[in-house]
Amino acid sequence: MDQIPSSSAAQPTEQKSPETPQPPSTATPPAPPLSTDHTATPTPTLKPPTITPQSQTTRPPFNTRPWQQQPYSHFSLPSPPLPSSSSSPGGIAIGVPAPSPPPPPPASFSSLAPPSYGTQQSQIRQPMQGIGMASSIRPGGVSLNQLRPSHSSLRPQSGPTSQSPSSQNFQGQGMLRMSTLGSSNSPSPSSSQNPHAQNQPWLSSGNQGKPPLPTPTLRPQTSSQSFQQRSHISQQHHHNTPATTQQQSITSSQQLPQTSGSGQLQENYGQQFPPSRIQHQQQITRGPGVGSQRPPLGTSQSSPFHSGPPSKTPIVENEESSTRIVTKRSIQDIVNQIDPSEKLDPEVEDILADIAEDFVESITTFGCSLAKHRKSSILEAKDILLHLERNWNMTLPGFGGDEIKLYKKPFVSDVHRERLAAIRKSSVATDTTTKNQGGPSAGNAKGHMAKGPANIIGSPT
Amino acid sequence: MSTGPSSKVKVGSSQPSEASLKSKRGMFRKDLHHMMYGFGDDANPLPETVALVEDIVVEYVTNLVHKAEDVATKRGNLFAKDFLFLIRKDLPKLNRCTELLSLDEDIKQAKKITWRDED
Repeated sequence: MDQIPSSSAAQPTEQKSPETPQPPSTATPPAPPLSTDHTATPTPTLKPPTITPQSQTTRPPFNTRPWQQQPYSHFSLPSPPLPSSSSSPGGIAIGVPAPSPPPPPPASFSSLAPPSYGTQQSQIRQPMQGIGMASSIRPGGVSLNQLRPSHSSLRPQSGPTSQSPSSQNFQGQGMLRMSTLGSSNSPSPSSSQNPHAQNQPWLSSGNQGKPPLPTPTLRPQTSSQSFQQRSHISQQHHHNTPATTQQQSITSSQQLPQTSGSGQLQENYGQQFPPSRIQHQQQITRGPGVGSQRPPLGTSQSSPFHSGPPSKTPIVENEESSTRIVTKRSIQDIVNQIDPSEKLDPEVEDILADIAEDFVESITTFGCSLAKHRKSSILEAKDILLHLERNWNMTLPGFGGDEIKLYKKPFVSDVHRERLAAIRKSSVATDTTTKNQGGPSAGNAKGHMAKGPANIIGSPT
Repeated sequence: MSTGPSSKVKVGSSQPSEASLKSKRGMFRKDLHHMMYGFGDDANPLPETVALVEDIVVEYVTNLVHKAEDVATKRGNLFAKDFLFLIRKDLPKLNRCTELLSLDEDIKQAKKITWRDED
């Protein structure tokens, strides 16, 4: 709907564009999912304007990946589930998980309908979009957190601040470092700065790094948006000094949380966690869905979601395992199975976990749609199996039951059959004529034959 | 073609077809049991494992037959060469199949000769 156009137009009026949360990824036009998301979000001020330029620049490479276009790559690259995505599953999907918004900006956030939340999520999940996931619920920690604040930025500014620290907790280590580093230009501990440098290139090239995911046409915007947001935010941190931006426009508001958070971080990288953790916990308690969606990217930093008392740094792993579908440990185990000597960067692990989460979410969403289509309120294995088989070209033996796979003869229209018959007749006639007349006439016969079928083919039109 | 009978069975009455299918669940159980042992599994593989492998086999054969029908649709009949065409890229399988087919031919010839001799 107007999301895309508004987003583009929104650039100049970041805050004003009410429904243009997502920066119009140059990539595409996934109207349906975005529109649904859009409508859901009442105050989308998701850093549209600032991010857009970046997204635009980064977007093209994103979509041009060859593997993106392959429908059946082995990995969960989806043959873009266009049909599924086109039907407002995007919107529905977004709404389904309905992770409750975090408490702090809660007023603003909670007021948002689930779809809005999902919308934000989808926007943030831009990188995951490639996989065709429904609006991923769990955006990168940074982006999501920032989004929230931005949404709530319309409301209290304090919200974002509180969120920013939590958001940072959410982010994976890599991203978190980036944001913190970016924001903390100052004397943050050398350790934080080092990762910053490393992360920076990651961020800048993040678009390329993140999207080795095929971006389904339907969800390009959300993915791009989320991605843009991330990159944008991280960059913003670099440029913004802490504690300055809260008052700024919404676009900056997105970054505000980070900047404010970063300010805290600057003081002490480690210390930041406790306060953010607390806030994080608050947010988490708000919505279990949210918590699950926001698996803390930074294992070291995230605090246990469910533990009441603010946890210290070490507790991160528990939290992550309780909220994540795929823990980092399991990813490492899988990698070990492939190659014992292989090592993955933390950002890569984070992204893989995000991808897994998005995948599960999209699959479940579509499965629910199929179950609903079946007029059943129970999600059964066959729904999931059908979706995987048709859209992802994945077969899961052992769950199919006794259902027979019927074979449909390829449909042949009447016209086609007539033409085939005519060709056969002409070919038979040609053969007879060639036999009778011998070689020399063969050429003529063939010519006639060609003309014959051509006439027949042409006439029926 | 194969689709005819299967579709008729399915459409006509779901129950009988399901029943027949269920009864045919363990069609390859015994053979697979030994084959799995031959390929390295335990002498007594788990029934669930055998069931899973059977599902995989049935699924593979089903897909292969569907593709063969697609290939042979113009001709209208299904021949062994359609299947050979489909596995043309898989050399081990292809060679094994051609070997088995040739052996089958030899056996038939031998039987004919035997019968003739007997006569």
